[in-house]
Amino acid sequence: MKTRSNIRPAILILALAALATTQAAAQEVARVEVSPATLSLEVGETATVSATAYDAAGNVVDIPFLYFSRDGRGSLAVNRTTGEFEAHKGGEYTILARALGPGRISGTMTVTVAFPPLDRIEISQDGGRYYVGVTLRHKATVIDQADDERDVPVTWSTSDESVATVDRFGVFSGHAPGEVTLSAAAEGVAGQITYQVTDNPVTAMAVEASQARGRTGDVIHFAATASDAGGGTVDDIPVTYGLIADPDVIATADFPPAEVDGMGRFVAYKPGIYTVTASVPGQTAHATVEILPRHVAEEVQLVGHAPVRNVSTSDLWVWEGVDGRDYAITDTHSGHGSTYWWDVTDPASPVLTDSLIVDARTTNDVKVSEDGELCVISREGASNRRNGIVIVDCTDPRNIEIISTYDDELTGGVHNLFIYDDHVYAVNNGIRFDVINIEDPANPHRVGRFELDTPGHAIHDIWIVDGIAYTSNWNDGVAVIDVGGGDRGGSPENPVEIARFRDIGGATHAAFPYRSPTGKFYIFMGDEIGAPAFDGQEADRTPQFMAGYIHVVDFTDPENPEEVARYEIPEAGSHNMWIDDDRLYAAFYQGGLRVLDISGELKGNLYHQGREIAVYKSYDPDGVVANAPFTWGPQIHKGNLFFSEYFSGMWAVKLQPRRTLIP
Amino acid sequence: MRRKAGLAVAAALTAAALPAVGPIPVQAQSYWVYVAAESEDEVSLLRYDAGGDLVVEKTIVTGWLAAEIEAPHGLAMDPAGEYWYLTLGHGFPNGRLVKYETVSDTIVGVADLGLFPATIAIPPHGALALAVNANFHGDHVPSTVTIVDLETMFPIADVVTCTMPHGSRFNADGSKHYSACMMDNQLVEIDGATLDVTRRLDLVANEPAHAPMDGHMAMAPPGEDCSPTWTTPHPDGNRIFVPCNKGDVILEIDLDTWRITRRIEAPGAPYNLDLTPDGSRLLATLKGSAKLGIWDVDSGELLHLIDSEMRVTHGVVATPDGRYAIVSVEGIGGDPGTVEVIDIASGTRMASARIGKQAGGITLWRMEG
Repeated sequence: MKTRSNIRPAILILALAALATTQAAAQEVARVEVSPATLSLEVGETATVSATAYDAAGNVVDIPFLYFSRDGRGSLAVNRTTGEFEAHKGGEYTILARALGPGRISGTMTVTVAFPPLDRIEISQDGGRYYVGVTLRHKATVIDQADDERDVPVTWSTSDESVATVDRFGVFSGHAPGEVTLSAAAEGVAGQITYQVTDNPVTAMAVEASQARGRTGDVIHFAATASDAGGGTVDDIPVTYGLIADPDVIATADFPPAEVDGMGRFVAYKPGIYTVTASVPGQTAHATVEILPRHVAEEVQLVGHAPVRNVSTSDLWVWEGVDGRDYAITDTHSGHGSTYWWDVTDPASPVLTDSLIVDARTTNDVKVSEDGELCVISREGASNRRNGIVIVDCTDPRNIEIISTYDDELTGGVHNLFIYDDHVYAVNNGIRFDVINIEDPANPHRVGRFELDTPGHAIHDIWIVDGIAYTSNWNDGVAVIDVGGGDRGGSPENPVEIARFRDIGGATHAAFPYRSPTGKFYIFMGDEIGAPAFDGQEADRTPQFMAGYIHVVDFTDPENPEEVARYEIPEAGSHNMWIDDDRLYAAFYQGGLRVLDISGELKGNLYHQGREIAVYKSYDPDGVVANAPFTWGPQIHKGNLFFSEYFSGMWAVKLQPRRTLIP
Repeated sequence: MRRKAGLAVAAALTAAALPAVGPIPVQAQSYWVYVAAESEDEVSLLRYDAGGDLVVEKTIVTGWLAAEIEAPHGLAMDPAGEYWYLTLGHGFPNGRLVKYETVSDTIVGVADLGLFPATIAIPPHGALALAVNANFHGDHVPSTVTIVDLETMFPIADVVTCTMPHGSRFNADGSKHYSACMMDNQLVEIDGATLDVTRRLDLVANEPAHAPMDGHMAMAPPGEDCSPTWTTPHPDGNRIFVPCNKGDVILEIDLDTWRITRRIEAPGAPYNLDLTPDGSRLLATLKGSAKLGIWDVDSGELLHLIDSEMRVTHGVVATPDGRYAIVSVEGIGGDPGTVEVIDIASGTRMASARIGKQAGGITLWRMEG
């Protein structure tokens, strides 16, 4: 059976191949020429290119072509079959004609689309009035007649160099009183701004720190006051802040020991003595502060472990049940659709009370209603591709019962969800969240949905506090949405967006709002990024790694949010988080569980400020992957810190004051 | 080694494209297939030696995020055997087409697709891929077929077809492409040269159809829903087979008259199809009953009904020598995915192997012997 007919069939295969090869060779495309080879035209004009295919002997081959332009995407509208195209934007582009035949042979031609003449140059500068000696940088934006911004070098000049000069970077310096016009010119078009340079009236300078002594990580505000000879305040002269650092420990090739920004906000990474200078032309003042170690580290005590060793664990939720006892739910990932209920009243000895298997491979997220009676589980990987959510009666966590399922238009999978005020906010694996009324949990029904309006938008997570939803939208950052608690008239039926913020990087996976006792309202935005070192093709040899960090955004003024700080663990990536009482509890995958002091105002990289209270990495020799911390999500509950570990289930730890003496 | 493999597959594919369809009694000794495991983010390369075991030779982890399931779904082979192509269903939010080099199985190119791309079709010339954006998320909106230039991995265009397109396949000479509309009960034809939609067929009314309106599905009379999930053109170039996943029937459609000409009973929710290269045997996975059905194409007689070891049969490919059907079986929940080799003539399962969860997309790489 194995070999009887091997030789003849093999010959037949080769014979067929040879026949096919012979037939094809006569028409095999060896090269493609595109005519014309080059073309120049104006924006708005159309033209047509045509391709001809030749075989190796130079004979024309009759074959269809596809025309397209990779670098002209958005700039050239190319008809893929006729080769006709219209120029939309200036530039040099390549049109490729692909012969639809074996060998993937193509030819190319070059299109040069003349840029439209420039229309205008707009000049912008930082605030402040021009007194003699003041120096500020300007930026020029060049816009053509198609209203497109152009990358064209500009030439800077001033109308009177005895009054003011400008360098090639647009840095403008006033030298003497008088009127002067600053120009940025290119291709016959110029933008201009006229200044009145006046005498510098400042005769005295003072700077004051908001506190004389602080700890690493404390944000100290330096306020400068410039005064004239009459004692009046000159508040429109730009002030430059500088820093003279004398850290306690000096190391080479280290990050700066402290920083101060243009608004006089100072933060130190190392203890020491720091002098901040505030300067205006001809006057400088300084103030010195002492920075002490933060001393916030605490001991971590292992309390208990609820092991799950046959499947990976995803999210968890801990709550006080209707019977007054404490319970936790843990979900599973890439497994068999299971969810586990635990009695954690004694967190040192978690007791498995019940479990549920639904038609899914991943039950990524679980939440419990505010009254502790309903548990809602997300589903992915259902065998019938009808994923959606599962609503469970967990009044008695020893005898849980499925009440209903809901999957209408959630068939691609629900990845995350939140329960708020008798509604489930379910994030599908695509582009929106749906609002599902569960007042009657046996008859859930959709009442609303929300979707961003940006091209290619995607959503990953949702969190709701006081009727405001915070959604995490990858490249679109965080969206703040009124679902009943805001002032925009939002409701579950009609979610209304309040604000949106895209952080640096644009990989927003989770967001957690926090109203600090300082009065600041922060949103912590966590990345999820594949680690550059992770080679997905080497599963057996490469451990799982993730990258990314937590961005801290000051949302106190929702109209003007500002990214002020970050928490970046160099060797690990961020995942889920929880915040309570000035403490951030953050899961950092291979970086374990981290507890961070977020008291006070926040600025800079919090990792380097001595704010880390604790780090705990759980090692389970019997885990799905042995001794491999991969922390998924934390939750603080009645003083115990519970967290789920991807490879080993749920753990509970407790923080205790550090027992080492602090000098 | 790669040259030899490419020759074998190319020969078989070329033979399938010849105008005169006849038996191709070539029997090989070894067969290699790639199978995607959608809920494991893996693709497995398996080898079957005739009469021996089915062996997992290699497992390739797919995707970029270790902590997210990115759902490898559709697979297709470069006609020359030098590359294989994979759709990843989940992205941000769009999925991707990933180009791998065979032998090394390393990524050499990536193209952006639409929402939850599924099946891929590559015409015999190998210059393009047409990937259907199935958008399994459940929104009743028309979706697209993305055309990708495979040399540059540039997505040239998105052609709007219908709601939840699936079952992307070219006819034997690459002149026409077909896909099915699971939610609109349509068969859609795209010209292989212009890549424009040329015809639509309402598979319930059996008459030409218009493009579905946004949010308006074709309303099938009660009991007459089709939910077509696949398209398999016959190598004679005259007809195409489409399974009605909800109708327990496989439709034969005449490509000249553009009408359904035969209904082949296929109880058990037929899902994916393939034909032996000589066009004599029709293979269908019966997703609901976890079986593989084998029919005589001329008579429409059901020759074999083979139980799978696991539930939810998914993909099927006939080996180019017409000897075996290789079937992917999803399983449910924590079940492993399964790949099974069925002797087409006898309807006997010859071998099977376990791979990652939710085995689905399948493509044959090469055969030797």
